[in-house]
Amino acid sequence: MYDHPATADSRGLHFFGVMTASISHELKNALAIINENAGLLGDLALLAEKGRPLEPERLKVQAERIRQQVRRADDIIRRLNRFAHSAHEGPTGTDIYEVLEFTLALAARLAAMKSVSLTVQGGPPLQLEVRLFQLGNLLWLYLQQVLAVVPDGPSGVVFAASDAGEAVMVSLRCDKVPATTIVAAVEQEGQPLLMTLGATVHLETDTLLLRIPKRSQVMR
Amino acid sequence: MRLLLVDDEEELVSTLAERLTMRGIDATWVTNYQEALAAVEREHFDLALLDVRLPQMNGLELKRLIAARRPEMKFIFLTGHGSEEDFEACSAESGPEYYLIKPVQIEVLMAKINELTQS
Repeated sequence: MYDHPATADSRGLHFFGVMTASISHELKNALAIINENAGLLGDLALLAEKGRPLEPERLKVQAERIRQQVRRADDIIRRLNRFAHSAHEGPTGTDIYEVLEFTLALAARLAAMKSVSLTVQGGPPLQLEVRLFQLGNLLWLYLQQVLAVVPDGPSGVVFAASDAGEAVMVSLRCDKVPATTIVAAVEQEGQPLLMTLGATVHLETDTLLLRIPKRSQVMR
Repeated sequence: MRLLLVDDEEELVSTLAERLTMRGIDATWVTNYQEALAAVEREHFDLALLDVRLPQMNGLELKRLIAARRPEMKFIFLTGHGSEEDFEACSAESGPEYYLIKPVQIEVLMAKINELTQS
């Protein structure tokens, strides 16, 4: 999967590259839909010039479709902006569910290409101080391993979190890929990130557990 | 002229199909490789417009599967990437002239369709 030694920087560059490429593809699709809907409005106008009556309801539908895709593109860019900023920020106070939801939003399109749905199992607010980019990178490493081996057909990954005193425990489970099959790869590839975060990996039946200290333990 | 469009973005492929129909093309659209293979089994198409990146299968692989069943069909690839990697792969499959980058200008698409179906 990687052709260079595992360092936090090399993994981070790879993560950044994969995510921005995926985001750019999503943006292209939103632009393509806007292009087609705008083109269709032009086609309807040309037909009206030739005598075919314009249907106001049809025009409203087209206008709303364009607006929806503009909102979609705006969301995508907002996500990209947040992701880009996380790459140069130090430890940040945040709710773990926000981090999980954000990482899943970044990875959703890539997971959908393999028919894998991503879900966060909600819970009460759980605050921690963490390097967002590196945690996202670690969560992506798990997903990447799952996507590499997941069999054809629909499957699901569920992320959950629980309070473990001075740490947050994040559980990662895929219904078609037991954690036992990928834990070694996650630990090996994720070692630099685990060290940066002060985190550890554990196995509980088919579930991968990440223990993340609530307070960043790495020198700022 | 009968055209099959395959792209996982339903709104994109359905709107493009409607615009092509306005231009006299009998256009059918699907959103995944399974529906595409079922469609070519059921009906005859002259040409397929395939997104390079589809869920669970890329457009190049789908083209090979369709061509095995319908060797007479012609193909145009659509991609949102415009990367060298995509271009080289599509060129190897069908020739560089049969590769378009999203968003597509419909006049350019129509020109490609006419060129392919008249050759």
